Amino acid sequence: MIAELGHYALMLALGLSLIQSVMPIVGTRNNDAVLMSMAVPTALAQFAFVAISFLALATCYVTSDFSVLNVYENSNSAMPLLYRLTSVWGNHEGSMMLWVSILTLFGALVAVFGVNLPIKLKANALAVQAWIAAAFELFILATSNPFLRIANAPFEGRDLNPVLQDPGLAFHPPFLYLGYVGFSIVFSLAIAALLEGRIDAAWARFARPWVLGAWMCLTLGIAGGSYWAYYELGWGGFWFWDPVENASLMPWLAGTALLHSAVVMEKRGALKVWTILLAIVAFSLSLIGTFLVRSGVLTSVHAFANDPTRGIFILAILVCFIGGALALYAWRAPLLKQGGLFAPISREGALVFNNLFLTSACATVFVGTLYPLALEALTGDKISVGPPFFNLTFGPLFLPLLVAMPFGPLLGWKRGDLLAAAQRLLAAAVLAALAIAGGFALQHGGPVLAPFGVGLAIFIMAGALVDLAERTMFLRIPPAAMMRRAIGLPRSAWGAAFAHFGIGVTLMGIVAVTAWGSERIAALKPGGTIDIAHFRLTFDGTFVRPGPNYSDLVGRFTVFRAGGELLGAMEPSRRTFPARNMATTEAALMTRRLNQVYLSLGDPNPDGSVPVRLYFKPLVLMIWLGAVIMFIGGALSLSDRRLRIGAPRPAKAAALQVPAE
Amino acid sequence: MTRKQRRLTLIGGGIGVLAIAVALMLNAFRDSIVFFNSPTDVVEKHIAPGTRIRLGGLVKTGTLVRGDHMNVRFDVTDGSHETKVAYQGVLPDLFREGQGVVAEGAFDGTGLFNADTILAKHDETYMPKEVADALKKSGHWKDGYAQRAAMPVGGPNK
Amino acid sequence: MILWCIFAVMTAAAVLAVLWPLGRRRQRFGGGSDVAVYKDQLQEIDRDRAGGLIGDAEAEAARLEVSRRLLAAAEAHRPPDSSVATQRSLRLRRIAAVFALIILPFGAPALYVALGSPNIAGEPVFARVNTSQGSESVASLVGQVEAHLARNPNDATGWELIAPVYMRLGRFDDAVLARKKALALKGETATRQADLGEAEVAAANGVVTAEAKAVFERATALDPHEAKARYFLGLAAEQDGKTDAAVSIWRTLLAEAPPNAPWVGFVRVALARVSGTSAAPGPNANDVADAAKMSNDQRNDMIRGMVANLASRLHDNGADVEGWLRLVRAYAVLGERDKAKNAAADARRALADHPEQIKRIDDLVEGLGIKG
Repeated sequence: MIAELGHYALMLALGLSLIQSVMPIVGTRNNDAVLMSMAVPTALAQFAFVAISFLALATCYVTSDFSVLNVYENSNSAMPLLYRLTSVWGNHEGSMMLWVSILTLFGALVAVFGVNLPIKLKANALAVQAWIAAAFELFILATSNPFLRIANAPFEGRDLNPVLQDPGLAFHPPFLYLGYVGFSIVFSLAIAALLEGRIDAAWARFARPWVLGAWMCLTLGIAGGSYWAYYELGWGGFWFWDPVENASLMPWLAGTALLHSAVVMEKRGALKVWTILLAIVAFSLSLIGTFLVRSGVLTSVHAFANDPTRGIFILAILVCFIGGALALYAWRAPLLKQGGLFAPISREGALVFNNLFLTSACATVFVGTLYPLALEALTGDKISVGPPFFNLTFGPLFLPLLVAMPFGPLLGWKRGDLLAAAQRLLAAAVLAALAIAGGFALQHGGPVLAPFGVGLAIFIMAGALVDLAERTMFLRIPPAAMMRRAIGLPRSAWGAAFAHFGIGVTLMGIVAVTAWGSERIAALKPGGTIDIAHFRLTFDGTFVRPGPNYSDLVGRFTVFRAGGELLGAMEPSRRTFPARNMATTEAALMTRRLNQVYLSLGDPNPDGSVPVRLYFKPLVLMIWLGAVIMFIGGALSLSDRRLRIGAPRPAKAAALQVPAE
Repeated sequence: MTRKQRRLTLIGGGIGVLAIAVALMLNAFRDSIVFFNSPTDVVEKHIAPGTRIRLGGLVKTGTLVRGDHMNVRFDVTDGSHETKVAYQGVLPDLFREGQGVVAEGAFDGTGLFNADTILAKHDETYMPKEVADALKKSGHWKDGYAQRAAMPVGGPNK
Repeated sequence: MILWCIFAVMTAAAVLAVLWPLGRRRQRFGGGSDVAVYKDQLQEIDRDRAGGLIGDAEAEAARLEVSRRLLAAAEAHRPPDSSVATQRSLRLRRIAAVFALIILPFGAPALYVALGSPNIAGEPVFARVNTSQGSESVASLVGQVEAHLARNPNDATGWELIAPVYMRLGRFDDAVLARKKALALKGETATRQADLGEAEVAAANGVVTAEAKAVFERATALDPHEAKARYFLGLAAEQDGKTDAAVSIWRTLLAEAPPNAPWVGFVRVALARVSGTSAAPGPNANDVADAAKMSNDQRNDMIRGMVANLASRLHDNGADVEGWLRLVRAYAVLGERDKAKNAAADARRALADHPEQIKRIDDLVEGLGIKG
């Protein structure tokens, strides 16, 4: 019965979304506030019904109701509660439900918290959001319905894939989806503004919190996925340029560009046309990423030519939304008025530079990811575009961006002084030079470029600190005055500095791991030792540790520092599921400050030796630490009170805050 | 600087960066594209020794031999042809006889494929799922499912 | 009925959400405007100036720019009107209301009637534990057998025992594996080959794959009368598009069928499917009942198999009170009162040293109503 309630709730949500997609627009056309205001309760009700639907599906999973086909196919009552819950989105139908839930959640958030939005913009944006929701609700009901039933419920569900049973998968797909779908609001706001035909500097401020929120979630989602791949797949890589990863990277790049161009639009009224285009592109890339790349729709259209309903449906949705949005854009954009002037060397110029390189880098990822799919769909040839392609294209395009990054915040608006900015960065440059020199002095036999990479990372981190120091007049005025300035500084300035610092931290981790990480592969017999970096591992032997539905073949290793000091034990294992004839690698990690020793086992050889893979990953934790710092930067920026300005109610609060600062 | 000059600078810069991006991509495409081949393709296309390719198929049952120093040999088959593969290193988790595998590397002069990377599908849920989807849509899964499932289960028994 | 009542309440709530704004006569229409943003930007410039973040000239230029935007925005700002509803907007609102009253109470139920399955009751596993099947004990029995097999992977009987259970549980890949093991350990027979093929077909979602077909061919080579293999070879022919071949295989199978063979109904249904009713006698009510009965029998077979396994285990090791309780309950569920009573008696003997455990057995016997 719960499944049927969910099914019906989804249908009601579809009906509501149809009403929501028409009435508010009729309202704005006729300047009728009542019709416009219909957007808010319908958006809330739509979310409520989709939420009921999603919770119903989740309940079926948690209670293992195998009369629901989707549950039967993807769950098993023997799984722990957490995995029964995460398997809701571990399959196509369920992940579509999560997608639509988040989509309508964002609609509801705009309805509730978008109090500062002009009523017409809000009504139109909610209507556009409802178009998207209606399309996907229809898609779910027509081709990917998770509520189909089985008349005689089987005893037990089918799928219990051990690889997918990992706490990491509880956390990272929802965050990725929050990021992907978060851009839908920005898309809706852009389309709403184009429909209205009036786009001003204020639009950027209205859109900014939503861009920031989506960007933050996406950042965390990507980092989470990367860490999951790192520890779960057993070979210690953190980024594979896999299509699934690229699918999340593309909207992130476009979103980052959007975040920056929106600043120019808000401050100077310039780059309006471009910002609106980026808003459309960011969500389009999310759609393409989720549906073309991830779900393999393009190849499945090719493979199941006899009945490609699902693929055709998705393609139709993509063509409608992306094509329609771009057509509307092409029609309306030339009507927009130009914004303020600026010199090439200026804050605006720096942000344009940022946008050019970010979007070009995004374009190379796009081509590298979609070219194989397109080629296969057209000619049937299968090619793989691997890391070498991306290293040769993405790398060179990202490099100038990183070098220029510390300069941007130090340039003035309209007309900047590059020389002055360079002088202020002198301290950072000196630090970087020291790091390069130090790198060369300490490095024996590593890649020549590595010290430069470290230097760049130091330059970026120090540059972010210099920016803060400049703004607070660090050491130039008494500490008390400095504190006052620091507190008075807009939160978004803090946020930007944090995010840039985070980029430097991540870069440092990537450079260190790629250049100085080491790898040892050997077959060890009990008693054998293996050395890596300044560690020595002794293989004490293997033992079997039974688990609930698997047994672990655990290898026990004792870790010493090269000097002989005992550091602890590592216990990697091979987990075999006897009835399923499946094995997974459970790597062991030993964290020493920001470094990690990574150890995984292979299948034992006939002669009794065990193959081991041992990695030393210097500073590897900085890769994800940087992402967390970026997330914190985003959160600081989001808390900037200016983003809430425009709401009629908090006007009094704003007036109170001014003297306080 | 006038409005027109500003726009020209912007457009010029944009085109410049885009041109660099295109040049980088064309260069990378020339050097780093790897074609995917099945053992049948290998026979039909006469791939030259030393050319990097990806070889995909099933690990033929009964051909996996583990030697010393983690040397492994096995045959990859697509049902009609087979290719011998040599690899040194630790095999991935889902590598099993009878299962799908993708090996990246090149042929030596003797027709032996020297792989330096072995990939087993780590997202194995996707493939069977699509087959199941195709079936689901062609059959009547809503109510007919139970009968269909019961057919093999409850088929002629004695 | 409850279901439809809840649907009605949900629908009413949805309609209310749409009609609510239409019903309000006069209201405050909040909503921000560009003007507020530009006013804030002006204040910000003043703050920055006061704090020394920007110079006088810059501040002045910025103030000029923002002021220009502020003026433009103030001019364009035309607050929507709700107090004076024009004839036209009244008509539009009425259309909206009608639209909502059609699409929600009629559209959604129509869609539901087409797609929903209101008559299938939910069967969450925890609810089933309390009903006759007792799937938790099924799961735990399977777990015990699996653990046993993990320790003794060469126990052919164990593999043969668990294979049909896997089939029934829908764990077809595991069933394939189990049947392969049994085949390898116990040697090849036509029946074992046919069983393996059946599992492979199930694992492939009902498609007779090339491997499965080869297995069935092997089975018929061993025993030309192996009915299951022949049935599936017919199915393979049907899936290959060779309907005629399928028809002829199944006709021969039916012709040679021993009287009262339980699978005759199945083959007739299949034959009717490919050849139409004119070419073969259609499935009659009896056949369908046969088929239904058979899957029921099979379920009971499965439970019996597991119960037998449990009984033999308890015979070897009688100290497991939980096992005894389960065995007694299982016999009672299968309707075999005598065996249940005997098992209870055995349990009392085996647990003679533990009066508190015997008490539990007695309580269960009383609860099941099989005393005396």
